[in-house]
Amino acid sequence: MAKRIFTSQGLTYTASAAGSVATTSGYMALKGGAATQLIDVLEVLVSGKATASTVAAMNLARASTLETTPTAIAAPHSDAGLFPNISAITNVVVPFVAAATQPTPSNTVTDAKLNLALNLFGGIVRWNAAPFQQWQIIGNTAPGGESVLWNSSTGGGSTGLADAHIIYEAY
Amino acid sequence: MKHEGYLFVDHRASPGLPEDVARRNGLDPQLTREGKIFEAATLTCAHCKTVVIINPGRTRERGRCWKCAAYICDNCSVAMQAPGYEHRSFQDIVDSILEKGLKNG
Repeated sequence: MAKRIFTSQGLTYTASAAGSVATTSGYMALKGGAATQLIDVLEVLVSGKATASTVAAMNLARASTLETTPTAIAAPHSDAGLFPNISAITNVVVPFVAAATQPTPSNTVTDAKLNLALNLFGGIVRWNAAPFQQWQIIGNTAPGGESVLWNSSTGGGSTGLADAHIIYEAY
Repeated sequence: MKHEGYLFVDHRASPGLPEDVARRNGLDPQLTREGKIFEAATLTCAHCKTVVIINPGRTRERGRCWKCAAYICDNCSVAMQAPGYEHRSFQDIVDSILEKGLKNG
């Protein structure tokens, strides 16, 4: 398939506890578009835009409870192929930052989490996966079918402004 | 190593992370404070897909699954020692979901 980039701009990442429902427009989430869809997450970047020191315990985590009725993303957020002439895939991945009921980032020990803590006052964090070491999302049911990039109050995070992107490839 | 990911935390223009937050999030406080850059290799567990920052000073053996021929994290490594352990990699989960999907059309 082809690589895509899901970008958010100017989101206020409200710190919330692992195992609790995330705050609307305070996270980025990716969900499989079908029960058998596989998504490889290849890169995550967060660049802080806070105007004062704000520690954010950003984490990419599995969703232990999925959202309901995700809201289609709108500008300034975007989701598009890295290659301009990308072909549409049959099962469209669901990127979102808001929903009727927000997803719950998992607090389960055996659910994977990717720690991306930084100070949002000028801080930048980026994670790249090596080949065969990518973060994967499979299907569209909890916990493996959806992942959430959010600010964990459990990890000591405080609410703050940031831009972020997730580069992924869906199959 | 070709299977290593890359983590880059840039606080060159930032006050950085307080020591307690850095420690709670598994980062080196000396390299995540004001004016510092933290770069680290990462490995991804073949069983649970947890991404682990590699400690270059570690002398203990790292977990490895001979069935997957791949790195596994400490939690999965401990689980693998348990009696009655049933091997199930993340790829096995992917395969089973895809097979179910094919059967169901």
